[in-house]
Amino acid sequence: MAHVAAGKLQGYAEDRIWYELAFTIGLTHGMNALADALRLSPEFTPKPGGTPLVPLVEPEAAPPEVKVVFDEAAALFAMDRPPAVLRALAHDPGYLSDYWIAVKGIFADGALDRLTKAIMAFATSVTAKSEYGTDFHLREMRRLGASERAVIETLEVVQLFNGFTKIADTLRLTPDFSTPSGL
Amino acid sequence: MEIVRIPEVHEFSPEEQQVMEGMKGWYRIDFVPKMSRVMRVHKAFGKGYGRATRRAMTDGALSRKQKEMLAATVSAVSVCEY
Repeated sequence: MAHVAAGKLQGYAEDRIWYELAFTIGLTHGMNALADALRLSPEFTPKPGGTPLVPLVEPEAAPPEVKVVFDEAAALFAMDRPPAVLRALAHDPGYLSDYWIAVKGIFADGALDRLTKAIMAFATSVTAKSEYGTDFHLREMRRLGASERAVIETLEVVQLFNGFTKIADTLRLTPDFSTPSGL
Repeated sequence: MEIVRIPEVHEFSPEEQQVMEGMKGWYRIDFVPKMSRVMRVHKAFGKGYGRATRRAMTDGALSRKQKEMLAATVSAVSVCEY
């Protein structure tokens, strides 16, 4: 609550920015939960020997509507294969196709640019201790142009505010800002 | 409801009150946030964590507003009402 207000005061004033942030966090969290629960190996720093709890749909064997999603995903994230988390979802082509509409709609430039969304997805993944998401979104941050300094600054803020939230929760602090607008 | 009594600004030393007053300008608000007062209950912790926070939140490779959004993201994922 306090940092939504602070962010608004610093210049992120429009509600559509905060809607996009919420959708970015939500999608990231949902995909990370699935990936970690199914023990999917991180995409860019793979761990040898891991076996996913459900089989992953092979791109070569995918039906046409799944192949379309796989190709778009590989292109969006500049990968030579579709992300494993989408391959795990591809057993239900209709669900995957619908879900992908949401993913590609959010992980595009919008009220927030793609790099800022990648930074927020990385912060979401680190905070939730998602091995799959941390690996995925750190690579995405760097690919979209984040410097190593930006990575370190992100980690500093994430660490500090993971601490602040626990202090606030332990002491059960009630919000400083309580109007409906957050201000 | 808080499980502790949070001291008012006037209960801190003049030096600490000055730091807390600075928080108003930092956040562009007209009051000292509860967390700023909580932090200062323990002098060493408040000083170190406060300085680290100020350093980390300053414009750098990332902008201050991106960093406030990062803080909001951490709060959301942690389901922190404050």
